[in-house]
Amino acid sequence: MNATKILSKNEEPMIILHNLRKSFGNNEVLKGINLEVARSEVLVLIGPSGSGKSTLLRCVNNLESPTGGEVTVDGERVNRTDLKPRAFQKHINRVRTHMGMVFQHFNLFPHKTVLENILEAPTQVLHRNPEEIIAEALELLDKVGLAEKKDSYPVQLSGGQQQRVAIARALAMRPSVMLFDEVTSALDPELVGEVLLVMEGLAAEGMTMIVVTHEMGFAERVANRVVFMAEGQIVEEGVPKEIFSNPREERTKRFLADVLK
Amino acid sequence: MLDWQVIIHYFPFLVKGALITLEISVISLILGLAAGLVAALCILSTNPFLHWPGRFYVWIIRSTPLLVQLFIIYFGLPQFGISLNPFWSGVLALALNTGAYNAETIRGGILAVPKGQQEASRSLGMSKVLTMRRIVLPQAMRLIIPPLGNNFVILIKDTSLVSTITLVELTLTAQRLIGSTYKPFEMYLMAAVLYAILTTCAALLLGQVERRTTWGHV
Repeated sequence: MNATKILSKNEEPMIILHNLRKSFGNNEVLKGINLEVARSEVLVLIGPSGSGKSTLLRCVNNLESPTGGEVTVDGERVNRTDLKPRAFQKHINRVRTHMGMVFQHFNLFPHKTVLENILEAPTQVLHRNPEEIIAEALELLDKVGLAEKKDSYPVQLSGGQQQRVAIARALAMRPSVMLFDEVTSALDPELVGEVLLVMEGLAAEGMTMIVVTHEMGFAERVANRVVFMAEGQIVEEGVPKEIFSNPREERTKRFLADVLK
Repeated sequence: MLDWQVIIHYFPFLVKGALITLEISVISLILGLAAGLVAALCILSTNPFLHWPGRFYVWIIRSTPLLVQLFIIYFGLPQFGISLNPFWSGVLALALNTGAYNAETIRGGILAVPKGQQEASRSLGMSKVLTMRRIVLPQAMRLIIPPLGNNFVILIKDTSLVSTITLVELTLTAQRLIGSTYKPFEMYLMAAVLYAILTTCAALLLGQVERRTTWGHV
């Protein structure tokens, strides 16, 4: 019985979006999205700007609260509507500790050193023992290739370095899901590679990832599945090869022709 | 011609007055900072029971003269059984007054911290309070210090108004000495010099604090 329980738990998708809707005023940005992400799956979201892919990502950890529908991560409902505001805040803070997010503009804390950036949430939120977590943080920094920068301030780093620190900062919470929101869009072209490399390594380790990106090469190489969105809806999804070499939908063909030109 | 003998003889008396001015300034400054921070957080709150009282406080203080506020507290409140001595009346009026200006300064600083900072912090599971305390306020401080210094300097000079409710601080000390010496120029000149010393020290001190918040910026 125990074995079947573990099995069924593993089969259950890590992320389930059910009829997800989001409006800003009268503008409906997400028009009923249904999407499941399996454990250890790398899902890449592509689509023209304004298609709602970033909003979708931000609904997963409730940085945007959905107007309708259900978001479930690791078996737990994220956008609970049954809770009063105070209880919901408590709930969402706890749920977010299981999800790491990396942003387009890095958003490192400028008043803290690289190491302090990484230690902040594990010590302040999880109240973990600093000594134990410092060793772990240094390991993470080593993993993203920035061990020697631990005492630098963000302003002293290049964009690519800052973004790698941001990834390490998210990983320090030991999340079961990582959300990447156009993380290379603000980087100089020569710095994109180093960030993608870190993400590739993470994917290889079996991290569940949703990646919003314009890097089609990365999508092709790393994604298990590519989802193409337009105007707040999923137009087409499939394995990278399918989507990139043989898209079914006219809208997908047009988009790919534009970006791969 | 300046009467140097008068200056040398009476200077220690004025320094004594200046110490009272310093004392009332420092206490009002600390209380005014606390009031400003609380009011700023109230105004930024989405809770109407916090937002509107905060707005009202800033509005009523900024739209009335400090001298009238001081008189209301010192001469008006005893009517309702609240009698404060000149010193604490002065502190209360000055703290409330500078607090309203600090509130706007602090609010501006908080709003100037990029939204992405809060998003990053919240995405790590940090609560609103933790985010404000650990991430937003320290960054806001860097932006707030220069205009806050301005408020401090104004506060120090405004303490001279407390002379009107018989607190023998720097200005009233000078006035009283004029009564016995008939040397208004010398006395007010010395008072002015001492005010300048106090305000300059405050500015220098704040410059030191500012230099500690460079975070790797050159």
